[in-house]
Amino acid sequence: MNYKAIALIPVIILLIIGCFGILNSKSIINSLFSLDVIDTATISIFVLIAASSGSQTPILSDVPRYANYSDPYPQAIILTAIVIGFATQSLLCTIALRLSRATPLLRYEDLEK
Amino acid sequence: MIDSPLFYASLTYTPATLGFLGCIKPKFVFPIGVVTLLGIAGFTLRAINIGFETSYKLMWVGGIEFSFDKFTFPLLFGACISMLIVFGLYKEKLTHYFYQICLALLTALTISFSAQDLISIYIALELTGFCAFILIADRNDDKSLFNAFQYLIGGGLAMLIYLIGVVQAFQFSGTFLIADLSTETTPALCLIVAGLLTKAGIFICGLWVPNIYSHANSQSAAILSGCVTCAGVAPIARLSTGMQPIENSMVVIGVLSGIVAALYAVFERDDGRALGWSSVSQLGFAILSPTYACVYAMQHGICKTLLFSTLTNPKTNDDNSQSQNNISDWILVATFIIASLSIVGLPYTAGFITKTWLKGDIPMEARLIASTASLMTATVYARLIWNRIKNSKLTLKTFLTPKWIAVFDLFRPKSIILATSSLLLIAYGFSYLKAYYPANIRDSLIALVLGSFLYTSVAGLQTEKFVKPVTRTLDLVGAPFVVAALLLANLFYLKI
Repeated sequence: MNYKAIALIPVIILLIIGCFGILNSKSIINSLFSLDVIDTATISIFVLIAASSGSQTPILSDVPRYANYSDPYPQAIILTAIVIGFATQSLLCTIALRLSRATPLLRYEDLEK
Repeated sequence: MIDSPLFYASLTYTPATLGFLGCIKPKFVFPIGVVTLLGIAGFTLRAINIGFETSYKLMWVGGIEFSFDKFTFPLLFGACISMLIVFGLYKEKLTHYFYQICLALLTALTISFSAQDLISIYIALELTGFCAFILIADRNDDKSLFNAFQYLIGGGLAMLIYLIGVVQAFQFSGTFLIADLSTETTPALCLIVAGLLTKAGIFICGLWVPNIYSHANSQSAAILSGCVTCAGVAPIARLSTGMQPIENSMVVIGVLSGIVAALYAVFERDDGRALGWSSVSQLGFAILSPTYACVYAMQHGICKTLLFSTLTNPKTNDDNSQSQNNISDWILVATFIIASLSIVGLPYTAGFITKTWLKGDIPMEARLIASTASLMTATVYARLIWNRIKNSKLTLKTFLTPKWIAVFDLFRPKSIILATSSLLLIAYGFSYLKAYYPANIRDSLIALVLGSFLYTSVAGLQTEKFVKPVTRTLDLVGAPFVVAALLLANLFYLKI
């Protein structure tokens, strides 16, 4: 087993925890936290895979110091995903705020009537 | 036709620009937006007719590639027409940011119809999801807010699943292009397709569809059914054109979706929910054939927009005008009937042509099941038409003795829009005369008549006892996992 696969194991565990949480949550707030955990796990997978070729800063130069650089492409793309995840979280929090006026506990069993 | 990259870039981004400008000067920008939509609709219609295809790179060399082809143009045309119908019919009742959101939505849809790489599709689908979220919450009561919450959390999770699939595919091939996806990375493909299916609202992933359509405003439901669900169809069609295993799996998923959702629609007693289930079933048919998926989705989207717009009589402000509104009521009911018949596939309507194309392109076994499901669709729409006529309180007497002043109703913008669109639905039925061979006409008529008979036999069932609407959030959120597992099982072991 190579070391890249071993590095991915904690992230996969984090992903499973998030999925378990979102499928077993009893209230809106639990779902929000679980979604954030899955979001973090996805981002970590991207970063780990980008860093598999090397971990130095990707700067173009003739100095051999920067030869072993990490792949900048997935990192640039995951920035967008971070922003989108943040936007989703904030919209969901807004909804939770509005719904909490009528049902302060925000439990699904109260809301799904 | 035009080949300049600048033109296609502006075609993509003009609607969103107009939408954001419309937040500053709403009344001034609205006519410009309508003219833009008309222009895009005309251009796409011309491009469909001559079979035009082009592609361009945003930011020239090394940029992101977009391609406008047979997948893009029909869906773009359908989205523009749906928006025009909704803007025309609900002009007075639109809340003050409705059309701005719709224009921003059109840009997101154009990107998802034309994008060639997975990340652009991801961003476009997320933007579509945000716009749809605002449209669902437009009604602004607790239930619609909760529906919007369910949609957003389900869509967000589905898109994260999609991203995990994308990164796996990237690890294998080193690019994000659809063309470079390989069948070697089977789990990645399953995750990607499960995410897309959730956005398209197909099969178990589409459980959110009926809840939301039945409770949203009718203008929001019209836009959602006409445009938003199409966003997932184009990438799925692109994926399954290139890869044989995906195309075969889509036949399984499409047939399951068509049958199960049609059954739910037969037993559903609420009209809005029945339309939602029927939408799931029809989009399931659409993905059966990658070649005609987009045309079928376009026809279905336009018909569903008309259906949701005419499902209920709009409330008039002055009550004494009810006696004069006979003719516009008749036009509403007639449009509802024509759009329903087009979805069922009556000869000489648009639905008949697209159904013929689709049936000619799918495997024999799938065709048999598709015929069964179209029988059930006929049953659903027999009930819907019957209910609509009953609810409208129109009698033959009022039709035969019209008030002369009511003739002016014919020249109201709403009546003109509805009449034109229903006439165009019929006129489209004459565009491909090769479809009218006797066996084909016989099949569709038999499905229609048998469906109506079947309706009389299920009309008396007390279905509330055994068909419960699916409203639990966990069911909606967990569906993509189930579908991903199903796809994985199919691709690895069953190999259908």
